Parts: sequence; C-alpha cells; structure tokens
Amino acid sequence: MKKLLKSKWFIALVVLLLLAACAVLSLLPGSPVKKALSPVQLVTSPAQSLVKRAGDTITDFWSAITDGIAIREENRALKEQIADLRYQLTQSEEAALRYEELKDALHIKDTFSNYVIYGASILSRESDEWFSTIRLNAGAVDGIELAEGNSYPVLDVEMNLVGRVIESSDTESRVLPLLHEGFAVAGKVNEVNGVTFMVVGDAELKRQGLCLAKDIDPDVHLEPGMEIVTSGDGGLFPEGIPIGVIETVDYSNPLEVTATIRPYSQIGKLEDVFIMIPYVEETEETAETAETAVG
Amino acid sequence: MRIVNETTNARVRKIVVYAIYIILLSSFQVSFPDTISLLGQTADLVFVFVVLSGYFNGFWDGAIVGFICGMVRDVFSPPAVLGLDGEVRVTAFIGVFTLFAAGITGASFFTKRMHRNIPFSIVAVIFTTFCYKVGGYLIIFGWSSMAGTTSTIYQPLTALVYSLLPQLLLNTLTAIPIIFLLRFLGPVSFRGRSGRDEIIEKQGEGTWLGI
Repeated sequence: MKKLLKSKWFIALVVLLLLAACAVLSLLPGSPVKKALSPVQLVTSPAQSLVKRAGDTITDFWSAITDGIAIREENRALKEQIADLRYQLTQSEEAALRYEELKDALHIKDTFSNYVIYGASILSRESDEWFSTIRLNAGAVDGIELAEGNSYPVLDVEMNLVGRVIESSDTESRVLPLLHEGFAVAGKVNEVNGVTFMVVGDAELKRQGLCLAKDIDPDVHLEPGMEIVTSGDGGLFPEGIPIGVIETVDYSNPLEVTATIRPYSQIGKLEDVFIMIPYVEETEETAETAETAVG
Repeated sequence: MRIVNETTNARVRKIVVYAIYIILLSSFQVSFPDTISLLGQTADLVFVFVVLSGYFNGFWDGAIVGFICGMVRDVFSPPAVLGLDGEVRVTAFIGVFTLFAAGITGASFFTKRMHRNIPFSIVAVIFTTFCYKVGGYLIIFGWSSMAGTTSTIYQPLTALVYSLLPQLLLNTLTAIPIIFLLRFLGPVSFRGRSGRDEIIEKQGEGTWLGI
C-alpha cells in the first residue's frame, strides 16, 4: 500500500480523476470550482496583455516600414477626403436635427434604443479547435454583469453579430462566438415579414467560416446572396442585427431544408467589439418602492 | 557544499526558464492564433512544449509544467460545453486535464529506451497529438450523445482529413524550434555531460521534490 501511494503513476491517476471531476462540476450552474482559477487569472492576464501589446507594436512597426510609401499616398488622399467630409458633416448635422424632430413627431423607435452599448477589446482568442471562447477586457466593474441563464449580444464595429457573452468576472467576460457549435440564434431574411429560422454553429462548417440555417419552412424560397438578420424571437437578441449572407441552400430533403451562411464578422480580424445590454427602465413599481424607502 | 549550490542554481534556472516559456507561449497562442494556423487548425505551441518538457526533462517536469500550462489555458481560452440541461457553459479544468495528461504521456513515451534522443522526440509529439485528437473526439462523441446533439460532430473521415492531419503537421513543425529551445536554452543544462538520465535524476525529477 505504501509503495502504491509513492508510485508516480498512482499519483498521476488520482490527479487525473480529480481534474475530471472538477471539469464536470464546473458545468453546474453557479459552480464555485471556477473560482480556483482566479489567482492564475490575476497573475497571467497582465502578462498576456504585455505580450500582446509587444506583438502588436512589432507588427505595427513592421507595417510602418513596409507600407511607408503606400501610407504617404493614402495620407494625401485622406486629407482630401477629410476636407470633403467636413463639408458633408455640416450638411449632416442639419439633417440630424431634422431627423430628431421627425423621430419625436412620428414616434419612430430606434432598433437598439432599449440597449446600452459598451465597448470592449479582445484580450485573447481561441487557442485551438476546442478551446474556443474569446476573452474581453470588460467585466462586472464595467457594467457587464451576467445573471445565471442570461446572455448579452456582442457586435463588431459595423454592428454585425459576433457572438454572445456567456460568462463575466469582475474585470473580464467570455464570449461564445457565432461559429461555435453551441451557438444558436433566431434569424430571418432581411425583408418585411421575412421568414424566420434558426441559425446555429456547426462543427463541420466552422472550419470554412460558415454557420448553418435550419428549421426552414420548405415552402419558402431562399437563395444565395440574401441577407440574414436576427429576428428578435426569444428576446435575447434584438431584431435586425446583421448576421451574414446565404451562401448555399439545400432543398434535397423537403423535411429538412438547410442553408449555409457566411457571417459578416471576421473574428480573427477583430480588435474591438460592442456588448449590448438591455436598458432597464425604472418601472412605476420600483419608483414607488424607492420613494417608500426614502420616506 | 558545491552540490548544494549546483542544485539551488538548477532549481532557480528551472523555475525562471519555465515561467518565461509558459507565459510567452501561452500568450502568443491566444493573442496571434492566425499567424500559426493552417487549414482551419492552429499549431498548439503550449501542447508541444508540455510534451517535450516531459520527454526531455522527466515525468514530474511534464506533469507540473502540464498542470500550470493547463491552468493558464483554462484562464485564457476555456472551452464552452453544452451542458446536459441544454445551456452552453464555460468549463474549468479541461485544459489542466488535457495538458497534465499530455505532459506525463510525453515523459513516458520510450524516453529511457530511446535515451531521450532528439529525433525520437518528434515521434513523441506526433503520438501525443494523435492521442489528444482521438481522445478528444471520443469524449466529445460520448458527451454529445448524452446531451443529444450528435449532429454537430465531425464524421470520422472529415475529422481525419480536416482536423487530425493538419494538426499533426502543424504540431510537428512547431516541435522543431521548441526542441532547440528546450535542449539549448532550456530549464535543464546538459552542457558537457553525456549521462542525460543521471542529470534528469539530479536536476530534473528530484529538483521539484526540494521546492
């Protein structure tokens, strides 16, 4: 027995069993097991940021050398463009004022007016096929607080869907990307009364940078090039967030019509993203409660 | 007295060099994955580093470096898994499990019979990568069957052509610079000595027990 306890293989086996148990336990809602990794995060996150910054600096420096002539040309063209845009801006400011007046008058509702939008930078990306969540530098202290079972949409700078926040700590959050097998969102063709279906990540399509549309009504005609946006069904994602365009449609099985979608957002090229958090309006009830508490 | 100093120096060198490599490789892996990707797969620098640490420097080096690298991986890019309740959740300790197992596998792959020679270390990397991929698919298949989501799993031929083979190629290529780092700028000094296993007994395996 004493010999067994000293055996390195016995120790390794016990450690592996404990780790497997911890991995399964971490899947339970509100599991405290994940907190064991907090000290590691505290030490490694600043170091990783430093390495990333150093890498970016080297890349930028190299680009500055190789693209020097092109940049000068671009700079000249941009200066001309700035002058042109300044003129357009003056015109647009006037138009914006008119739009605000009309919006109030006609009660036009902005698509995303019920959401507060937070900016965040990508800290780390997927490290391989299976370790595939993305880490952002915004957490609970920045207003990204996530209740169990809740989630927030994540968009790129052009407001295209990137994924959704599935976990947040004090200073960081983790995003499930659009191409991940576990991702699902209700989508529709971007037209009035467009038909709705499910857009999901798929392991085989992921390597081609595509996702899958399923649960499509066989009577509906879809064709490549059609734009797909979120439908708003389910309440998690607001209606109208651009997802991508249809690449292929498969009508071979009428009971299971599917389509492949090429997402607009290219996660590998993103540096900054936006998190949409529903704006919690103060209801009459909460206002009354607050008044009572003050009284 | 001289032996004590040698051991202390070896310990300090080991901790410092491993710490630097772990931070650099783990950070590079998640900061610039596109620069080391091919055919939809990413070269796993940290995985290869752990396997080779075990292969060259012994069982406990592989185990401890694998454990630490696994924790860093679980912090930087943990996998998200579909739970049995249908909710996708970020997991913990899968990275530790994977890299700890990779470290001890690398350390036990004919290391003594082959005298930890450099060419055979490539075979160790290929074998461990093969085990990782096949084991990973088997676990995913088992778990997905339990969760009822078998539709998102690779077919065996697709997994072979688009996942296993590119990953084997990338990890083998990655192994070459890491072998040189570990042998010539590594945590254990082999300079001017021929009895590698003896050095590992003295500076490698035994060193951790004194920390």
